[in-house]
Amino acid sequence: MERSATSPSALTGAARGNGDAVFAAIVRFSAALILLGLGGMVAVMAWGARGAFARFGPGFMFDKAWNPVTQHFGAAAPMFGTVITALLAILLAVPLAFGIAVWLTEIASARIAGIIGTLIQLLAAVPSIIFGMWGFAVLVPFMAHYVEPLASHTLGRVPGIGTLFRGAPYGTGFLTGGMILAVMITPFICAVMRDVFLSIPAVLKESAYGLGMTRWEVVRRIILPWSRSSVVGGVMLGLGRALGETMAITFVIGNANHIGWSLFSPGNTIASLIALEFPESAVGSLKFSSLMAAGFLLMLISLGTLVCSRLLLRTKATGR
Amino acid sequence: MTVAQHDAMPAAISVRNLDFYYGAHHALKDISIDFPQGQVTGMIGPSGCGKSTLLRVLNRMYDLYPGQRATGEVIFDGCNIIGPKVNLNVLRSRVGMVFQKPTPFPMSIYDNIAFGVRLHERLDRAAMEARVEDVLRRVALWPEVRDRLRDSAAALSGGQQQRLCIARTIATRPEVVLLDEPTSALDPVSTARIEELLDELKADFTIAIVTHNLQQAARCADQVAFFYMGEVVEVDSADRMFTTPREKRTQDYITGRFG
Repeated sequence: MERSATSPSALTGAARGNGDAVFAAIVRFSAALILLGLGGMVAVMAWGARGAFARFGPGFMFDKAWNPVTQHFGAAAPMFGTVITALLAILLAVPLAFGIAVWLTEIASARIAGIIGTLIQLLAAVPSIIFGMWGFAVLVPFMAHYVEPLASHTLGRVPGIGTLFRGAPYGTGFLTGGMILAVMITPFICAVMRDVFLSIPAVLKESAYGLGMTRWEVVRRIILPWSRSSVVGGVMLGLGRALGETMAITFVIGNANHIGWSLFSPGNTIASLIALEFPESAVGSLKFSSLMAAGFLLMLISLGTLVCSRLLLRTKATGR
Repeated sequence: MTVAQHDAMPAAISVRNLDFYYGAHHALKDISIDFPQGQVTGMIGPSGCGKSTLLRVLNRMYDLYPGQRATGEVIFDGCNIIGPKVNLNVLRSRVGMVFQKPTPFPMSIYDNIAFGVRLHERLDRAAMEARVEDVLRRVALWPEVRDRLRDSAAALSGGQQQRLCIARTIATRPEVVLLDEPTSALDPVSTARIEELLDELKADFTIAIVTHNLQQAARCADQVAFFYMGEVVEVDSADRMFTTPREKRTQDYITGRFG
């Protein structure tokens, strides 16, 4: 049977319109937009920060002063606060998230695990301003009236680590900030851990139990080694969020430009400093530029953490 | 083998009136069967008939999963092991298990074996090395891995991994070894090696093996049990089971009429 060149089944000839080409152009543009956005953001931050870096040099990162009167700015205190609160958050959140993930995957019945798992996911969806309000209204007074006085009378007397737990019980400060952050990042870390634990073949665990291992031995010797890099990746993901979190921490950190080893003392973080001072600094002023520089540093710290977590998660996916 | 020999063997494990439930699903119905000491018991039957379930009762593996429960008696060393006071870690070290797929732990070949031993015994370095070499020789893996004991077990082939898993299981010196379709993921050469191995191992261990391969059951087992729909239809010596089965359902299954 003869086919004419214009019949719908002819193999040669023009395609039906040029929908494919248009579609490809649209999606390519979307992808490029992301790259452009990220690059643009880095460039704008760096450009805005040029004044501060030109004036203070690399010493900007190690200078404790933040004095708008003398026009003397340094990012040491907020960087310190950022790192301390994030580390505290990780310290508190990782064991908690680990415990929840082990319980969800190894011990709880499927029905209860489903319910609790969903609730934990919902915790991740609570807007950070709500955490800030809760922290300020509930956690800060609780810390000021109960936890901090108790801790400074007990732990505060221990030589060495006692330094960490002395000081006036304001309620606001590094520890309270770390706790708020811990609650906020636990769901993320827990979700990653749960997914990795679930991906471990059941027979592998059964053969471990089959040798007579206890639950703890199976977790410690089989599950953790198997999932180590992904767990670390999940922790880094949480760390990245803790570093950049703004609203909640601004409410409870105390907002003092301060470096000190007492966990009870008020301080600030890069994000809280910017949130409070950026709206009232004149564009082009040295303060404006210094805030841009602080933001630029925060972006570097966060990106570095994220890259680390990506690398760790990728080794897991391709390796083995 | 003769009936007299068969009956003379004391049972390592005696199952009496066992019922098993996956939630509401009644998976084993009033099962009674003996596993004679020093013999290989083959368990055959169509998928879902309860043979693997029975294995998982014998070392209480089902305990890991909420909603699974057993009633009846499973007597091992004078004790009803499905009772509440059993120490599961000790039970599982005395009733070892090998799975359908090889399950090397994420550690070295040496540690795969030494690790299980360390859970139950304190051995000095020399004794541990001797134990590892001994079990690797018994599963005929020693010549292949002696120079790379510190390498990851994941680098071994499937057949080698399965022999490593058997070595790992017998390294803790259990009295009973349970094998759940241990060769179904392996090539014919590896399968033959594992079947030879079973023949040597039964001198020291009581063996229960679940298999879908009727030839394998005929080759390896002294006693064969035919399971159907959660019941034990027939238990007999392998010779008689495959030549003169008593039950119609057994006959239909072994001649391939269903299942």
